[in-house]
Amino acid sequence: MSERLLDRQLSLLEYLTSAAGIFGAGDVAAHVAPGIHRGLLHLEARFSHQKRMAKIKGVLSWTFELMGSHRDQIIRDFVESCPPVSISRLDNARQFHDFLSTHWTFQEPEPPCLLDVAACEIAYASVRGSSTPRLEPVRDMAGRGIRRRRNVVMVRCRHDVRAILEGGSGAAEAAERDTPLAISLPHGADHPIVSELSPELFELVEVLDDFFDFEELSELPQVSGLLADLAERGLIEVRL
Amino acid sequence: MPPTHPAVGIGYRWNLDEWTHANLARFDVLEVTLDHCLAGNEALRAAIFDLVGHIPLTAHGIGLSIGTDVPLDLAYLDEIAALLDRLNAPAYSEHLAFTKVPGRDLGNLLPLPKTEAVAESVIAKVHIVQSRISVPFLLENITYVFDWPDSELSDAEFLGLICRETGAGILLDVENLYLNGRNHGFDPHAFLDALPVRTVNEVHLAGGMTLREETLPRPFFADSHSHPVPDAALDLLDYALGRQDPATIVLERDDRLEATDEILADIAHIRARLDRRYGKIHVGAAVGSAA
Repeated sequence: MSERLLDRQLSLLEYLTSAAGIFGAGDVAAHVAPGIHRGLLHLEARFSHQKRMAKIKGVLSWTFELMGSHRDQIIRDFVESCPPVSISRLDNARQFHDFLSTHWTFQEPEPPCLLDVAACEIAYASVRGSSTPRLEPVRDMAGRGIRRRRNVVMVRCRHDVRAILEGGSGAAEAAERDTPLAISLPHGADHPIVSELSPELFELVEVLDDFFDFEELSELPQVSGLLADLAERGLIEVRL
Repeated sequence: MPPTHPAVGIGYRWNLDEWTHANLARFDVLEVTLDHCLAGNEALRAAIFDLVGHIPLTAHGIGLSIGTDVPLDLAYLDEIAALLDRLNAPAYSEHLAFTKVPGRDLGNLLPLPKTEAVAESVIAKVHIVQSRISVPFLLENITYVFDWPDSELSDAEFLGLICRETGAGILLDVENLYLNGRNHGFDPHAFLDALPVRTVNEVHLAGGMTLREETLPRPFFADSHSHPVPDAALDLLDYALGRQDPATIVLERDDRLEATDEILADIAHIRARLDRRYGKIHVGAAVGSAA
């Protein structure tokens, strides 16, 4: 009995997304797809891989710069452990960022700020693609309150990587310090805005997934000034 | 009825959004890739929906993977159906190919073994697609790097069989046909001769590049959507129009997008070919044919 089509498709895709298929290592093509020229299978695998990596690099351009001489080996390891599961560029970039995080679990990343840069680039791509409603406070019958804007991404970095992301500095100049950032794209802005927050403010904004009555914050010193500042930066929505 | 002048346009690309808006009057139609809407971000979706009412839109898919030997994703199809309604698209086209299996999405089109058994399986799925969308369904011929050794039917026989049994229309990708002819050594005119008359509803054109590598048995012509449409592909379009009456012709461009002058030159070349065949019309006069 001939092999089921699905089984043939499964083994073909397993091969085409493998390091052996993409980088031409080993000689398993003959078993995977007998009768198909190995060079053509390798070409198909490379085409698909290049397309996927172009999507990832499109989001993580600074991260790729910083990987330097490690880049080829990291990409190879990524291919071996993370087959493509989506055509979305952001999904693929997130998959690569997750892989980097796992890859550097037990040792310091090289350079040390690598994961912070990747996290910020993912955040940039996320907010760039989000809608950017106007900033005016909304009057709503459902009651007053504040919440974090939907197009704000919170990133807690171990290094201050803002200069790298702005293209003006190398990894060596990314100082190691706790850097709580809120990344947003205010209405009308072309590029994401990066705001450094105090650790306390970062924690407050981070938990504001749903509307929260700001009367309950009245014990905080200078609360009205704080809220006005957050709203001004486009980080929170205010319902009066 | 005599053939009408097809509408001419480009595939909408987010990276060219501003340029596309600035040059909208140069096109009769834009083709929207529905999966960009589904997998893309809010801003991209908003930009696409903003086009509705300003220019006719056709709908193209890349994520159905109709050839994967598993049941169709009905939830995905329902999302497609909703988008088709929202875009007021006259048809929905997809590739006669597979791109994924459970757990892996290659994001690239792969050929199917061209056998009657595989055709039967695809036919059943085309019927399901047709039952869930409100517009005609079109199948596109793909370009392929390799073919399965157990293929028994020619490209035209395989596509023709499925379309004949289902009533599905054809999106004829002239560049794919041209490249397949060169890469796999067959006469593309024979493919066109084998297609039933007036079954091609839409046409794609693009320009590719040549790869020369030691591991390949011969130079390979890749469908990179990166360069001007070659004259040989325009000649094939001419030949196809002798028997076919497509409503739209769409130029696909996905790489070297900064070379917008090349895009406009390609559009001018396509229009010149059409003018020679159908007589000259003003830009925009064919809009109704795609709506």
